[in-house]
Amino acid sequence: MTDSPTPSNAKPQLAARGVHKTYRMGDADLHVLRGVDMSVRAGEWLAVLGASGSGKSTLLHLLGGLDRPEKGDVEFEGQPVFGKPWGELERYRSLRVGFVFQFYHLLPELSALENVLISAMVPSGVFGWGKVKKDARERATALLQRLGLGERFKHRPTRLSGGERQRVAIARALINRPAVLLADEPTGNPDAETGRQIIDVFRELHRGGQTIVMVTHDRTVAAAADRRLVLEAGRVKE
Amino acid sequence: MYKLLLIFKYLRRKLAPLFAALAVTLCTAMVIIVISVMGGFLEMMKGAAKRLTGDVIIRADLTGFPDYKPMIEGLRKLPDVEAATPLLRSFALAKMAERVSPVEVLGIEPAGLEAVTGFRDTLHWSAKDVLDDLQSRMPPMDTLSAAQKARYEAAVKRIGEADFREYAMKLKPPSHWGDLPGAVPGIAVPPGARRDSKGNYSFNNSSVSTKITLTLMPLTRRGDVRGEPEYADFFVVNEFKSGLYDIDANRVYVPLEVLQAKLHMEAHAERDPETDKPTGKTISGRVTEVMIRAKPGADLHAVRESVEKYVQEFLMQRHEFPLIAVETWQERHGTFLGAVEKEKGLLTVLFGIVSIVAVAMIAVIFYMIVLEKTRDIGVLRALGASRAGIMSIFLGYGLAIGIVGAAMGLGLAASIVWNINEIQDKLFEWFGFKMWDPSIYYFDKIPSRLDHTEVTVIAILAVVSSVVGSAIPAFLAGRLDPVEALRYE
Ligand SMILES: Nc1ncnc2c1ncn2[C@@H]1O[C@H](COP(=O)(O)OP(=O)(O)OP(=O)(O)O)[C@@H](O)[C@H]1O
Ligand SMILES: [Mg+2]
Repeated sequence: MTDSPTPSNAKPQLAARGVHKTYRMGDADLHVLRGVDMSVRAGEWLAVLGASGSGKSTLLHLLGGLDRPEKGDVEFEGQPVFGKPWGELERYRSLRVGFVFQFYHLLPELSALENVLISAMVPSGVFGWGKVKKDARERATALLQRLGLGERFKHRPTRLSGGERQRVAIARALINRPAVLLADEPTGNPDAETGRQIIDVFRELHRGGQTIVMVTHDRTVAAAADRRLVLEAGRVKE
Repeated sequence: MYKLLLIFKYLRRKLAPLFAALAVTLCTAMVIIVISVMGGFLEMMKGAAKRLTGDVIIRADLTGFPDYKPMIEGLRKLPDVEAATPLLRSFALAKMAERVSPVEVLGIEPAGLEAVTGFRDTLHWSAKDVLDDLQSRMPPMDTLSAAQKARYEAAVKRIGEADFREYAMKLKPPSHWGDLPGAVPGIAVPPGARRDSKGNYSFNNSSVSTKITLTLMPLTRRGDVRGEPEYADFFVVNEFKSGLYDIDANRVYVPLEVLQAKLHMEAHAERDPETDKPTGKTISGRVTEVMIRAKPGADLHAVRESVEKYVQEFLMQRHEFPLIAVETWQERHGTFLGAVEKEKGLLTVLFGIVSIVAVAMIAVIFYMIVLEKTRDIGVLRALGASRAGIMSIFLGYGLAIGIVGAAMGLGLAASIVWNINEIQDKLFEWFGFKMWDPSIYYFDKIPSRLDHTEVTVIAILAVVSSVVGSAIPAFLAGRLDPVEALRYE
């Protein structure tokens, strides 16, 4: 495939090791993930498929450090993500992975550019920001330009179309140059045309060596990825 | 940095922060206005009390004490005493314009009283007031006949030469009025005295230049009324306005010697009780009070101590043992001033408690904002914001709203406090509503002042309370789980 023959090939960039996740809803427990094992190598583009409610989003949240599995572990570059000292999990979320949500989740008060920049502000304190501000601005404008949003820096999310919002969300996920891009149904909401555009963006990112884990229920979209895995009954079915 | 950005953005959002800031504004303004008006009231009371009493007062009963002249000589030599003046207090029936009313009569030495309490400043009428009043009531000049004009000009000249303040300072009318001593009644004593709705008096209704007759009751040395009442006529040479309505409506100043003579308390030659021949000794006149002004910056309690010690020794040497009290002006008016002071504290506390409503309101408004922002909080957490970071957004938001609210409250309070009398005039004009009736209260204006320390403390408290109000919602926001928050609808 497109993988470069680096030593990191052997070791996975990001992996789930026998993770379990159960949602407690009153007295009925919903055992969504029942020992999921999966991994993604550096530079690889992985598509996670599965029926609605099969736990795709849940798995992606675990990979992004947003939620904890009650059993099993998530490893980033061979290191466990959870159970580290204070602030490490936050650093992981903000610097190692970039998350594109299923429903964009842009902050309504901020402009497109600010929505991207805030992701860079979070890990750099009030004083650190001064030093990185210029660099971050340049990167944000470059990213937005590359994603075809050159004219819309100042627009609020409400004035952007679904596809445009999704691209702002992708720019926000990429601003801190994360090792892994986690995208939950990036083509799920926009129409077919914008869906294709977004896949083109991913394709270009992938060509640049970006590791991508993408959740989708659409087999044609999944076909663009290097590899596919299917979640079924809480387990991985290749 | 993202915190500051978000605080700023959230502040610019529509109504919720506006309401929160408004709650802070109103509570801050309310407490500042209450404390300023009550404080101004208290300050004016104190000022008036001090003006009426001097710094320290030596006080006996109405039979008085003798030898006040050497006593005052001695008092003036005490280190912290600047001036001292004798005073004779009594009661009388005052007859003015065929009406009789009871008054308090004070025999004074005007120059001495001026040195102790600033008597001159309380005198109400100057020649200019009289001329202004006369002019305001004149028909236009060209409608006057030559004779009227001449009369008017003569009157203007006569008044111009008359200086009512000088007459009052000598308690002596100009010689062409007649040969009577002068008196200075309070501005509200004369039966015709009327205040307009703004609390001002017109010279037109004043009693200046009219006659006042006092009926006095001389007391025996034992304090009984045995003889006939005495009568004394005076010309009113001016009127005083102390600012305390009760005093202005009930007090008349007359020359000390005249009052002493009428009350049989003047200095006189001693006669042998058996032979009724003069013994060659003089018996001193008597007064009931001595008012003392301390040097600026002197500790009044220390002054009172030294005065008390001196007076005790002085009387002991003379084998005189009248009941004498030495008090500072605060002690003299203690019960009264204390009541107002307590009232001020009580009102401030009550309104402070009312302000807890503002804290609760901020808590509720912030809780609503947190609920509304739950998804955004989830996003921020997913982007790597810590719990403390999320909390500090809302605490900082509370701080910002507190600062904005306190500043606006301060502005509102200042504009109300500085214009309170104008506001009340307008209210009266529009609705006929009078919150401050000069004929009920001691003062004819609503007193108020802004005290720097009080205002600073209140503003800081307002900011602190809005931070406190935002603390619980901020804590709840910080505890939100990112995935749960993202799923929040
Ligand atoms: N926080 C939660 N509490 C309770 N149940 C949850 C929670 N999150 C997810 N679930 C349930 O877990 C199951 C898996 O959810 P998940 O969102 O992972 O599915 P999905 O594969 O992403 O589905 P979709 O394709 O519709 O997005 C669903 O049945 C969902 O209702
Ligand atoms: Mg999903």
